[in-house]
Amino acid sequence: MITLLKNAKVIDPAQGKDGVKEDIYIRDGRIVTKPSDSEKINQIIDLNGKIVMAGAIDMHSHIGGGKVNIARMMLPEYQATRNLTEPEAHICTSSCTHHATPSTTDTGMHYIEMGYTAAFEPAILAINARQAHLEMGDTPMIDKGGYAMLGNDDYFLRLLAGKADQKAINDYVAWTLHATQTIGIKVVNPGGISAFKFNQRRLNLDENNVHYQVTPRQILQSLSRAVNELGIAKPLHVHCNNLGAAGNFQTTLDTMGASDGIPMHLTHIQFHSYGTEGDKKFSSAAAQIAQALNANKHISADVGQILFGQTVTASGDNMMQHLNAKIANPKKSVIMDIECDAGCGVVPFKYRDQNYVNALQWAIGLEIFLSVEDPWRIFLTTDHPNGAPFTSYPHLIRLLMDKSFRNDAFAKLNLDAQAMSNLTSLNREYSLYEIATMTRAAAAKLIGLHDRGHLGIGAAADITVYTEQADKEAMFSKPDYVFKDGELVVKDGKVVKVVWGKTHTTKPAFDIGVEKGLKDYFDQYHTIQLDNFKINNDEIAQDGRNQVVDHFKQSD
Amino acid sequence: MQISNPIKSTHVTCPACGLLCDDISAAKLASGELEITQSDAHRCEKLLKFFKRPSQRSAEVNGKQVSIAEAIAHAAQLIKQHQSPIFSGLSTDLSGFRAAYQLAQRSRAAMVHMNAKSSARNTKVLQSTGWQTTTLTEVKNRADVIVCIGTDVVSHNARFFERAVWTKEAMFTDPSARQIIYLGGEGLDTAQGVSPNGVPPKVLACAPQNLPEVTAALRALIQDKPLKADRVGGIALADLAAVVEQLKSAKYAVLVWIAKDLDFPHAELTIQNITESVVALNHHSRAMGLSLGGSDGDTTVNYAHTWLDGLTLTERDENQHDLVVWVNSFSPDKTMPAYAQPVIAIGHPDTVFASPPAVFIPVATPGLDSAGTLFRVDSSVVLPLKPVYESALPTLAEVLAQMEAQLA
Repeated sequence: MITLLKNAKVIDPAQGKDGVKEDIYIRDGRIVTKPSDSEKINQIIDLNGKIVMAGAIDMHSHIGGGKVNIARMMLPEYQATRNLTEPEAHICTSSCTHHATPSTTDTGMHYIEMGYTAAFEPAILAINARQAHLEMGDTPMIDKGGYAMLGNDDYFLRLLAGKADQKAINDYVAWTLHATQTIGIKVVNPGGISAFKFNQRRLNLDENNVHYQVTPRQILQSLSRAVNELGIAKPLHVHCNNLGAAGNFQTTLDTMGASDGIPMHLTHIQFHSYGTEGDKKFSSAAAQIAQALNANKHISADVGQILFGQTVTASGDNMMQHLNAKIANPKKSVIMDIECDAGCGVVPFKYRDQNYVNALQWAIGLEIFLSVEDPWRIFLTTDHPNGAPFTSYPHLIRLLMDKSFRNDAFAKLNLDAQAMSNLTSLNREYSLYEIATMTRAAAAKLIGLHDRGHLGIGAAADITVYTEQADKEAMFSKPDYVFKDGELVVKDGKVVKVVWGKTHTTKPAFDIGVEKGLKDYFDQYHTIQLDNFKINNDEIAQDGRNQVVDHFKQSD
Repeated sequence: MQISNPIKSTHVTCPACGLLCDDISAAKLASGELEITQSDAHRCEKLLKFFKRPSQRSAEVNGKQVSIAEAIAHAAQLIKQHQSPIFSGLSTDLSGFRAAYQLAQRSRAAMVHMNAKSSARNTKVLQSTGWQTTTLTEVKNRADVIVCIGTDVVSHNARFFERAVWTKEAMFTDPSARQIIYLGGEGLDTAQGVSPNGVPPKVLACAPQNLPEVTAALRALIQDKPLKADRVGGIALADLAAVVEQLKSAKYAVLVWIAKDLDFPHAELTIQNITESVVALNHHSRAMGLSLGGSDGDTTVNYAHTWLDGLTLTERDENQHDLVVWVNSFSPDKTMPAYAQPVIAIGHPDTVFASPPAVFIPVATPGLDSAGTLFRVDSSVVLPLKPVYESALPTLAEVLAQMEAQLA
């Protein structure tokens, strides 16, 4: 079976192609060179110069696992409005409230309808990995993967406090990637989730966890070194200390400093770019953060843009979410300590454009987007659902690409917030090439998906076709065609075929001797058997769905 | 297809209650029976009962033996002929529930779990104010004060004290020095609340129906609100105030409840008093709630329904439906209610019926003679179940898939 996409206008930053007119051939789910004249082309679609990009990749979106499901359970009111407020085309405006807690089916459907072909759950508690994979396994259409959380688990903290050598840490990190079937490692509020269990309420970068007498800086350095030495692609995914707190930009800058030149990814950096200037002691530090990102080429970040409306925040950071619970809207929340492994906090939020802090958060996110120069190191996220549901990406893309649209939106904000932002002085408008970079090429490169995020020969045929339009929100809301592994799955923004994606993992080598210490720890302190902690491939890949792909073997 | 690959000698996971103990050694005897070696002197009757070899039984239509295929065909006909079926019981594991959900969608059927009434008490609190909770490993390693409210726990989760309280070791506390308090309840078995050093638990007795009042007073005292009373619900206020002091000075207090044991009108308000007590304690010290119990796959089914559907399962009036599909995989002791409607019953081969259902299809039991997956009652932890016996019976998922194929 060979499919030919004729007269494509290819935007493929991985290959430096910006609007190149090309024909694309697809065979057995892959992009191939032009077949010989004797071979039969089974399907020809003439694109007549439509824009063709690789399928988009969401490198940070809470799509599965305990806290997402708690959010669903806690907020039945979101579901009741689903059919009433959700137009099929997902035309999103600033007043449009998307349901923030879609079912697994809706998640897959909404993503593919927007031309996204993969999403990565960024906060898998190792002990809860099986649930995350069960939910992702029930998410159709797209590829899935996740990052395992370490750094607040008592096993790691005991190693660190006991001055274990780096090799022992590396083995534990690699073992965790295997056991949890994940592709990256995340640390959330390093040391802070553990500290909260000992009744500490805040933890700064160089402050000790009272029990272990280790600092977030030490945790970051140990984990980022492990990730780096193991040779996995995805740099340590860091949710800094002091999430959402006024003045936290200094912690963020110091965290970059703690990286010691080792690659590090700072996630939802918007929530970590706050100063304390002005009457309200809350200000934008986007300029300082962007300047540091521009200067430190080994650091990348995703934004975690907020958009106005009702959503829910779901985080592993129970220390900071416990503080945020005071401003929950509606007024309810779930805070959990979990299995000497981590924790979680689920707090519904309603971001309002007339609220000073919310309006400034909106502006700070955009200031960061527009001030960070290299689209290979800044990623388009709303930290779904924390800043906004992922269904608002087309709206966010328009804000980045259309200055007058952005400035019109800015003019409607809380006036005090307007006075504290330089957003209108930022004239940048993102190009399609830059959007394709941050949502495709760079995301695949960051995670280590060698055959995704580009349209080169041999790439998986995850392909999105758009009609170029002046209204970029409309353009990105409804692709003409989406191909998943070579199959036509979306036509005119509607799913025409249901498929099940793959599960992306990385499995670096490690010394199996690590299981001795783990076995003793589990037998003494845990409440399950070590063997039951580990997830087999067969538990994930069932009935031909969700095939487990190990990208470590494929790396160079 | 799930592969039945019975173990010879290994650790098995017990789905008989929400604790999902996975430290059970099992060895196959020459007789074909299973010998269970429990890790401790505590004998769990539920566990021993669960791992008994299931009997052989064929499918039935109106009490008459038929092949499984005939029974499935008959059931599919019934589903086709009825307008508004309901899947009830729903005692199954994840893969069984996924299949049930898919068939229910296909046949526009409603769904309700046999524990819907007690689950709803918790769900109402979660959806009203939320809560702050912990899990078993945290309890094991941190808890220094544990209050069991309206429950002895052990009637539901026999090994709770053995596995999470009186443990040999704990990372952050001295396990044998833990303070145990029982607050209210009826006919409680408090024997397991005695510490290894022989320190008896504190028991503040009151009838279950006084718990709304007593927990409201507890919450008020924690919030430093003045109370003008000497006694509340039969408990001296001074005794309650002493408990509050224990809670406030705890390093990590845990307040335990079991929704099934709070069986009185508006029990959700009592649960909310407990959870809001925890919230108030957490302003200054550390405390967490712990909802225990859990059986018949209820946690798993509620969670999976939530991610598949977007909503939790709720209570339903079965009388509004014209056909019942009763699923009960785990415990034949949980008898099917008497229904006026025709019933398709699918479940454990040892199920006993007061009167024969229209269709009965015996299926393999997850963790006994088929593989499976279940959530532990405290959420977060999901464990695989292994088969310990060979079985000729199909799984629930296989039966329902075949039924669905015949609906086309």
